[in-house]
Amino acid sequence: MAEHTVKAFSEELDAITQEVARMGGLAEAAVNDALSAVARRDTELAQQVMQRDAKIDAAQREIERRAIKLFALRQPMASDLRVVLTAWRIAGELERVGDLAKNIAKRALILNQAEPIQLTRSAERMGKIAAQHLKQVLDAYANKDLQAATAVWHGDDNIDAHYNSLFRELLTYMIEDPRMISSCAHLLFIAKNLERIGDHGTNIAEYIHFLITGEEIATQRPRADAD
Amino acid sequence: MEDFSATGADRSQVPPALAMTAPTVKTAAGSIAGAATKVSARDVNVFYGDKQALFDVSIDIPDRAVTAFIGPSGCGKTTFLRCINRMNDTIDGCKVTGTLQIEGKDAYGKNVDPVVLRTRVGMVFQKPNPFPKSIYENVAYGPRIHGMAKSKADMDVVVEKSLKRAGLWEEVKDRLLQPGTGLSGGQQQRLVIARTVAVNPDIILMDEPCSALDPIATAKIEELIDELRGNYTIIIVTHSMAQAARVSQKTAFFHMGKLVETGPTEEIFTNPRDSRTQDYITGRFG
Repeated sequence: MAEHTVKAFSEELDAITQEVARMGGLAEAAVNDALSAVARRDTELAQQVMQRDAKIDAAQREIERRAIKLFALRQPMASDLRVVLTAWRIAGELERVGDLAKNIAKRALILNQAEPIQLTRSAERMGKIAAQHLKQVLDAYANKDLQAATAVWHGDDNIDAHYNSLFRELLTYMIEDPRMISSCAHLLFIAKNLERIGDHGTNIAEYIHFLITGEEIATQRPRADAD
Repeated sequence: MEDFSATGADRSQVPPALAMTAPTVKTAAGSIAGAATKVSARDVNVFYGDKQALFDVSIDIPDRAVTAFIGPSGCGKTTFLRCINRMNDTIDGCKVTGTLQIEGKDAYGKNVDPVVLRTRVGMVFQKPNPFPKSIYENVAYGPRIHGMAKSKADMDVVVEKSLKRAGLWEEVKDRLLQPGTGLSGGQQQRLVIARTVAVNPDIILMDEPCSALDPIATAKIEELIDELRGNYTIIIVTHSMAQAARVSQKTAFFHMGKLVETGPTEEIFTNPRDSRTQDYITGRFG
């Protein structure tokens, strides 16, 4: 797209987009590291993830500050309006992703003090899919790739299916060995967090669709029952 | 409208000259759902001598709504506005082709008297242009020459109602006999609007009505436009994108004499279809 007559306006729009991409990188790393902390029983890494959440929150505040400034001083219209609005909305989703990653890390601290359980493998697999989902949607945002965003949007049911399967596995496990209930419950929350991270990725995919086309995604997303 | 029925303004006497009957087209792109079409233009071309200023403009203007014309200088928006009340007739060498209907009747029909037409299609200009007369006389002028008030008492009613409609009554009721030119710019513009509504028009054309006003006076005019749209068809030409977005329900974007895009204002300012509209409203050219 052509440059604005006022060049500083273009620069400010680029800057807010880059800030969202940077925040996406922080959130993505938080999710991956939180999962590693669970998989490798790495307490130090879990603590790092929890501390780093403040940076993600700060990034959100920075994006909102930039957005408010753009709304007030530039009155963005049409595609520019969508750039600012989408940055604002994605920052909100990423902040939640950061919180969920932090929560996974918190549970890793507890799990690391209990007996290892086999089912962490299943959670790990689900975690990989959720992290991949998040990576793909952030790439789609960086590349303004409608097709990739739509693919992510359709891919969320895969995460939901994994969640449902893990949920059943954990229930069976808990019935079989009540001593494991505490650890299983934490794993179940971790799985739920991953499922929510998947939902936030899907929301981001919807915002990217709106950013590029100016329209909401029309149809209802097909989803496995994840509640 | 019914406010004026006692003043002798009989609508049925105004347009008998508009003899042609043609069906109003309501299906054009960009029409607002549910709104009746007041003005319908089809393939309107305007030439100033050899130079063509407008190319095949087709648009439906909804009744009782505000339609904004936007576009860079020289894009033809004012030229098209002036077609609607046949102001272009006053320019030597100006030729208008195509059809332009008001309520389904040809505004350029052979029997149409432009002077009568202009009582139905009022106009407010960029710079407030009150007559060098009293506030009262500024408003009373139109109704008097059109014989719309039978007595002084009738005229007092018309003047008061018009000034009230223009949101000016409270500010001037104690000094009606003072010159209109002594008012502030914003008050003068509202006086001009009162003068326009005094002759009971259907349509009010506004050509950058706020460009000479400060933000407060502008806000007052915009509030007034919002009130007036319940009773009139309003078409506003504006260079302020924000103003078009604030006051209008429908927006038409002109560029180089062509109507590029028209649609509900909300859509034009969030998701325009044409890249030229997009570039203009986002400040990439113009």
